[in-house]
Amino acid sequence: MPQNEHIELHRKRHGYRLDHHERKRKKESREAHERSHKARKMIGLKAKLYHKQRHAEKIQMKKTLKMHEQRKSKQKDDEKTPEGAVPAYLLDREGQSRAKVLSNMIKQKRKEKAGKWEVPLPKVRAQGETEVLKVVRTGKRQKKAWKRMVTKVCFVGDGFTRKPPKYERFIRPMGLRFKKAHVTHPELKATFCLPILGVKKNPSSPLYTTLGVITKGTVVEVNVSELGLVTGGNVIWGKYAQVTNNPENDGCINAVLLV
Amino acid sequence: MALYNFKKIMVVPTSKEFIDITLSKTQRKTPTVVHKHYQIHRIRHFYMRKVKFTQQNYHDRLTQILTDFPKLDDIHPFYADLMNVLYDKDHYKLALGQINIAKNLIDNVAKDYVRLMKYGDSLYRCKQLKRAALGRMCTILKRQKQSLEYLEQVRQHLSRLPTIDPNTRTLLLCGYPNVGKSSFINKVTRADVEVQPYAFTTKSLFVGHMDYKYLRWQVVDTPGILDHPLEERNTIEMQAITALAHLRSAILYVMDVSEQCGHTLAQQLHLFNGIRPLFASKPLIVVANKCDVKKISELPEENQQIFQDLLSEGIPVIETSTLTEEGVMQVKTEACDKLLTFRVDSKMKGKKVHDVLNRLHLAVPNKRDNKERPPFIPEGAALRKKAMEVDAPKRKLERDLELELGDDYILDLQKYWDLMNAEEKQDKIPEIWEGHNIADYIDPDIMKKLEDLEREEELRERAGEYESDSESEDEEMQEIRQLASQIREKRKLKILQSREKDTMGPRMPRTAKKVDRATLEKEMTGLGLDMEDKDESHYAEVARRSRSVAKKRKRDASEAPTSRTRSQSTSSRPPRDQSGLRDVKVHTHTHTHHRPVRPPRREDGEEDEADDEELSEGHEPGWPQGRVRPPHLQPQAQTPARRQEEEWQHQPAINTHTHTHTHTHTSSASSPNTCSQARGRVAAPAGDKHTHTHTHTHTHTHTHTHTHTPLQPQAQTPARRQEEEWQHQPAINTHTHTHTHTHTHTSSASSPNTCSQARGRVAAPTSDKHTHTHTHTHN
Repeated sequence: MPQNEHIELHRKRHGYRLDHHERKRKKESREAHERSHKARKMIGLKAKLYHKQRHAEKIQMKKTLKMHEQRKSKQKDDEKTPEGAVPAYLLDREGQSRAKVLSNMIKQKRKEKAGKWEVPLPKVRAQGETEVLKVVRTGKRQKKAWKRMVTKVCFVGDGFTRKPPKYERFIRPMGLRFKKAHVTHPELKATFCLPILGVKKNPSSPLYTTLGVITKGTVVEVNVSELGLVTGGNVIWGKYAQVTNNPENDGCINAVLLV
Repeated sequence: MALYNFKKIMVVPTSKEFIDITLSKTQRKTPTVVHKHYQIHRIRHFYMRKVKFTQQNYHDRLTQILTDFPKLDDIHPFYADLMNVLYDKDHYKLALGQINIAKNLIDNVAKDYVRLMKYGDSLYRCKQLKRAALGRMCTILKRQKQSLEYLEQVRQHLSRLPTIDPNTRTLLLCGYPNVGKSSFINKVTRADVEVQPYAFTTKSLFVGHMDYKYLRWQVVDTPGILDHPLEERNTIEMQAITALAHLRSAILYVMDVSEQCGHTLAQQLHLFNGIRPLFASKPLIVVANKCDVKKISELPEENQQIFQDLLSEGIPVIETSTLTEEGVMQVKTEACDKLLTFRVDSKMKGKKVHDVLNRLHLAVPNKRDNKERPPFIPEGAALRKKAMEVDAPKRKLERDLELELGDDYILDLQKYWDLMNAEEKQDKIPEIWEGHNIADYIDPDIMKKLEDLEREEELRERAGEYESDSESEDEEMQEIRQLASQIREKRKLKILQSREKDTMGPRMPRTAKKVDRATLEKEMTGLGLDMEDKDESHYAEVARRSRSVAKKRKRDASEAPTSRTRSQSTSSRPPRDQSGLRDVKVHTHTHTHHRPVRPPRREDGEEDEADDEELSEGHEPGWPQGRVRPPHLQPQAQTPARRQEEEWQHQPAINTHTHTHTHTHTSSASSPNTCSQARGRVAAPAGDKHTHTHTHTHTHTHTHTHTHTPLQPQAQTPARRQEEEWQHQPAINTHTHTHTHTHTHTSSASSPNTCSQARGRVAAPTSDKHTHTHTHTHN
């Protein structure tokens, strides 16, 4: 025992107080009451946090209790049930009709035909022009309004230089330019931070595509050379990915790789 | 290098606590209310502040951790090595590095999001960005869970390490386990190390302190060392090795002569030789312990030889027994002396010593001859010293007295007083309070008087003066009593009634409920009060009055107009002196009370001092004789052209005799360019009859009317108005008659230079012995 551990030393030499264990037991059994009292007294954010914590604890406790009970109680034995057994309420049902299967197949095929890409986010909310572009007033009297500023996250290529202000119709602010995206590989279930190569398509408008505006549902091309994907001996380095979040709200681009 | 204080490291919170603390701090210390319709930069600023604040808190806290924990490169190598042994240097450095990285990451996140927020165009977007920013910061910290936990453990352990100063005078005990190192330290210091009869009782370093030669010495007890190569040593042994390697100390190598520790003397010698490099250039003593069991001389030949060899190498061997304390003190003194000389020697070798030595010079005279030259002590001094040694009867101390007398003892310090006259010692000291002897104010006969009074009282009592006889109560009183009892009874009844009624629980009392007069009167009559003829009573009047109408004075019945009525008059308007006046009464009032604007014309058209003087004595112009003037109008005698009023009011404060001086000055100022007039004034008339007698009950009232005479009596322009009010307020007058007059001079002058009038006044009347101090405040 190291020096300066006075309580332990004292206990070692003189033992516990006579009523130590009794007091400890009482304190412990009292604790639930104390905590519930505290929970009832608390207000505000602290209370919210505390209740959440207690809630989680209670769930955990119930789960463990259930696990202990499972050991004792009788369980359904999967091996005993015969193959193809149906619960009583399904006994009078027939199996799926053939016609239904056929019609389902046709529907499926139509669906497949319709979409060029099978993308994770097939439907995207359209972004209006007022939402994406902010009018910048110019002129000596601030009365000309031909200039626009992009207010969403956008991608600008490496070699881009801004036009002189007189001719620059669309401003893409430096603060909103992104170069990288967090791309999830759906099969590998892993996420990588990959450089963006370009914006393939912004479903809202072709203008946004040319401007490189990245909103939810936009398909971007990412550099996957780091991942080392191979097709027939060639290393693929450009692959499409669809953006799954609202980058302007989250401050980052999350995307799913289209495979 | 300063000694690092490991005890001052702040607690390292767990990652969860850390997040909770920081977020709740953000919630508490930044504004919480924002609305959509606010200007967008206000919204942006609101959320930016939150992000920055959170980042700053994280940053500060993490920096605190980084600075608190000692850097292994900066601290003394002993501690660096010890920490390496105990906590693993790599792990330690890694943890701190991780914290540092987290700190930078958090800073970067905040920077990024603040930048993005500049483009936030709605409250929603800003809020989302803030949320994302805080979330990312917290995630970064959550990943530091293990580092933080590790650091907290290190902190706790560090703070409990014994405080070993690596540079001070140290004795270091080392040797095999269970040879008696801890027993030794317990003997020489108060360290209170645990001693048990098995190996490795001591698992860490222990430190104790002792005094020797008025210096403070530190004794370090180390865990036992086994004899095997360095690489195989465990943490416990490594602590001892670290101490041996880095502390500049005297080494006490403890050997167990009796071999009870389980290791032979040969093994112990082998270990000694094994760790010998660590003893290099340090004073060393071999302590042959447990000599109460077996002495060296009782050992077999070859074992004795071991000690012989050590001695021959110049290493002192001392036999000790921590049980019988034999030799323990010897070891202590020997080791301390050795270390002290060693330290002095090593200091002498250093460079710094010259600075000190240059200043030191100790002259030691050579011996001239064999003549004895003892120190000279005067005869008288020697005698006195001898006399002092004779045991004269000692003074009796208070303590002895106390013991002697027991309960009867009273501490009396007065008997030690050194007074000129010894009999005065026990005299009573008068109690003085604010310069008065309290005894003077105590009636010596007070007790007697009290007794008299008591006796008188007793007599009266016996005579039956206080006996209350019901007969003596008059009828009226009886009536009142009866009424009172009736009221009480009724009240009790009411309480009971309301209790029965009050089954619905408490209700708000309807205090504002209106009670009409009839009900009230009926009720009160029921209680036995006479309620006849109450038309004039307050409640009746209040009830009569409607709420909205304020109580007004009754209008007098309008009298018949004295003049022609309006309908009869040719003009549609009332005459000017009547317009705006309500009725005849008001009209007469205004006419009688209004100040005459113009005094009656004077025939001579000239006004001089004589006039004023005269007026002040008797009457004033503008006021008809015999009419009572309102007091505030007292001193005026002005034409509209020249209004100069001066009022002096002397108000002597609390005094047994009251002077009420009312000085009236009528001064006429001159033309604008004669502002700096020198005014000679006699404030109190020469013929004043201030006779102050010292009888306290004397009260006299003076009313003076002063006339102020200007030097230039002349034509004034109406523009020039000067009003002066002087108020004399003498402060509390004492019997020494020092009157302090404070003149508050209020002059509203038309031209600025009038303010700087130099006014010489003869303030003190010659016939009076008052000293007037005039303070003029020109406003």
